[in-house]
Amino acid sequence: MALRILTRRSWLGLTGAAAVALLAAPGVHAAETPKHGGTLIITTTPEPSLITNALSSAPTTAEVATKIFDGLLEYDMDLEPVPSLATGWEVSDDGKAVTFHLREGVRWHDGKPFTSADVQFSLLQVVKEYHPRGPGNLGPIAAIDTPDEHTVVVRLVHPYPPMMKGLSSLEAPIVPRHIYEGTDYRNNPAVNEPVGTGPFRFVSWEKGNYIELARNEDYWREGRPYLDRLIFRFIADSATRAAAIESGEVHVATFGTINPVEMRRLEGLDHVEIAAGGYEALAPVMLLELNNKQPPLDDKRVRQAIAYALDRDFIVDNIWYGFGKPAVGPISSVHEGAGLYTEEGIRRYDVEDRIERANALLDEAGHPRGSDGMRFTIVHDPAPFGEDWRRMGEYIKQALKRVGIGVEIRNRDYPTYVRQVHNEYDFNMTSSWYVGMADPTLGVQRQYWSKNINADVAFNNTARYSNPEADRLWEAAQVEMDPAKRATLFHDLQRILTEDSPNIWLMEMGLVAVQNSKVEDLITSPLGVRGGLYDTWLDQ
Amino acid sequence: MWQARLSYLLRRFAHGLPIVLAIVVVNFFLVRLAPGDAATVLAGEAGAATAQYMEQIRAQFGLDQPLYVQFLSYMKNILVFDMGYSFRHGRTVASLIFERLWATLLLMGTAMAISTGIGVLLGALAARYDRKPLGFAIVLFAIVSYATPLFWVGLMLIIVFALNLGWFPTSGIATIGADTGGLGHVLDVAHHLVLPALTLSFFYMALYTRLMRASMLETLRMDFVTTARAKGVAEGRVVRRHVLRNAILPVLTMAGVQVSGMLGGSVIVESVFGWPGLGLLAFESLAARDLNLLLGIFFLSSLLVVATNALIDLAYTLVDPRIELAGRSKRND
Repeated sequence: MALRILTRRSWLGLTGAAAVALLAAPGVHAAETPKHGGTLIITTTPEPSLITNALSSAPTTAEVATKIFDGLLEYDMDLEPVPSLATGWEVSDDGKAVTFHLREGVRWHDGKPFTSADVQFSLLQVVKEYHPRGPGNLGPIAAIDTPDEHTVVVRLVHPYPPMMKGLSSLEAPIVPRHIYEGTDYRNNPAVNEPVGTGPFRFVSWEKGNYIELARNEDYWREGRPYLDRLIFRFIADSATRAAAIESGEVHVATFGTINPVEMRRLEGLDHVEIAAGGYEALAPVMLLELNNKQPPLDDKRVRQAIAYALDRDFIVDNIWYGFGKPAVGPISSVHEGAGLYTEEGIRRYDVEDRIERANALLDEAGHPRGSDGMRFTIVHDPAPFGEDWRRMGEYIKQALKRVGIGVEIRNRDYPTYVRQVHNEYDFNMTSSWYVGMADPTLGVQRQYWSKNINADVAFNNTARYSNPEADRLWEAAQVEMDPAKRATLFHDLQRILTEDSPNIWLMEMGLVAVQNSKVEDLITSPLGVRGGLYDTWLDQ
Repeated sequence: MWQARLSYLLRRFAHGLPIVLAIVVVNFFLVRLAPGDAATVLAGEAGAATAQYMEQIRAQFGLDQPLYVQFLSYMKNILVFDMGYSFRHGRTVASLIFERLWATLLLMGTAMAISTGIGVLLGALAARYDRKPLGFAIVLFAIVSYATPLFWVGLMLIIVFALNLGWFPTSGIATIGADTGGLGHVLDVAHHLVLPALTLSFFYMALYTRLMRASMLETLRMDFVTTARAKGVAEGRVVRRHVLRNAILPVLTMAGVQVSGMLGGSVIVESVFGWPGLGLLAFESLAARDLNLLLGIFFLSSLLVVATNALIDLAYTLVDPRIELAGRSKRND
């Protein structure tokens, strides 16, 4: 029922649904009364290069900017849209016009009123043009009409159901037209001193040190946010970040700032806990990307054999200390609720006799074991994201040796890695992860659609997987308005992709944060710490 | 005398100019040898990018221009001390560097003062009590601290003094948002400075201790020391008046070399203690291929090296009046 809203002619009435979202949010401390005040200190890494996420989708940019900006919509834990700057919306019968009713009385942090012109400008001229995922989220938009100050009508070239899943403050933040219009957006000083409508306003940025945000006294959600101030601190060393959490100097560490093994240690402390959830709208999947155009991995049987040879449970438990769960295919199981995920009829690589199968496939593919027991050697480039990725590379090396595949590990610095692997395709197998987003068309498609093979753009269809049948299904899913039919398209895709095994899916990542116990209601939306944090409060 | 010193300084700076220019030219091409560019990194960080996005960034950064055009415009700017613009940060290189310069100078300055002070003292003691328990203990301490990785020292200090004892903060340069006012702020920064400065001193101190000890032992064997003793000068006075002043020259040289490196800061200490200094900035700009910023830091460093070398030579004449500046200097580059 993911697309329920789109199929209804009218879906108004949830004007006060922010409150509904709040009540629906899971939270151990839901019964307590939130307290106002206090300063929440979050550490994240790396320090962003800019803090306006309409122009960049870098994770840390978004972590800061989603407090300053609002989107038209937000999403509940089932990834269903709920009101934000838009209080209601209707989709036309042909699916080519979506009308949004905008909240009245909202003001920008500089006091100017928020109107439909801001929405028109933001979506059409900023996000669609400049956000790296803008074309995916908003691509088919042909025009946006503004019949009055509080109504916008989005006109689409063809029906595009996934658009309704890409309008959060993370994906399509609404920026002030009066500040950006007619300027070179990226060089506009407001990029690093943003003005939004969100729960917090920008105060200062001490480069290399911290970013300070303060409560928006004029926020449209009554009585929110609870916190007086929000500080993002940047500490370059992971062990020091862990120490700062331990000493209580920092309240929240976002995922990736502290090694998983340290997270488990910190979790054992009385005043520290793991903030579960909060990444559902990102649907992150960790995988090995394979060079499908180069022997020996151009042979489907070899790719399948590697997929069989790896023990996903081992990887989840011992490399990532349980922060995730084994992945069976390209689409994350967070989409199960929406009916887009299936395990039916797919090729499973976690079967009992997987090692025998791997060996049989490799024999069949014409790679017999040599006198030393080895069949061939490939190069593995671990993603340059830290020591955990290198450790996973070492595990993979050992696991593949058992089926006679030698692995040579090549470690590079980040720009070299991107150039060599993602731009020049000079690789066999690399580890990576992608965000599947709230709809597979928005996040998963780009890894497997042949139109996304582009050497100039990193982190696309790096495998250079090309299958006309898969292409047809992706393209059909872009315009299909019937949720049931659309779900079937994705189910078929999962069957084709697990069979072809262009990449090897290892883990649905749990992008959990570490938090001090006195932080309450940190995770109240599927965006988690990438949400507005207007419900978060400090018990002190 | 002062006139001679001034004209000497001017001459040295004039000689330094071509050196700095050569460094700038070499750096410009050297940093471009690294594969990958700023647009690749930004797109990578974004996790997804379109061809259009990449083009926009490259055009904005001027990366789409031929290399010689980039070079000429860079040289033209650098001649008027315009270090350019960091597109990644959306700020001028000069503003980025000067904003963080003081943090680096504070950390390095404090560490230099502690390490030279204590290093000279320990070195002198080790030489004075050579082949005695105290001498052995100091030498052992110096070797151990020289061989201990800085990041480990830093983390141990954090665990002991910040986590277990809770005397100092784990990281940062000041308590964020604590509006303590003038003196309060100074004390706050000093409080944050203790652990990083100690960590950094640890390494240099070992260096100076060993240098001072070796130099003292050598001087102690000199004829004029024997003469002084033969004259019946008391041992303490021999050490203070005759040996120390002579033995300190190599330490001065070494300190000079290190001051030159100060601008680079210490990537490790800044990274472990979350100290917002230049070392970390240089490191990050390399990883992000923010070449303008990197070149700017290199440029300032080369200026500093040339200037410090000249000043150190000058300092020799103050410590040891026998050294002359005129004609050929004792230490030519």
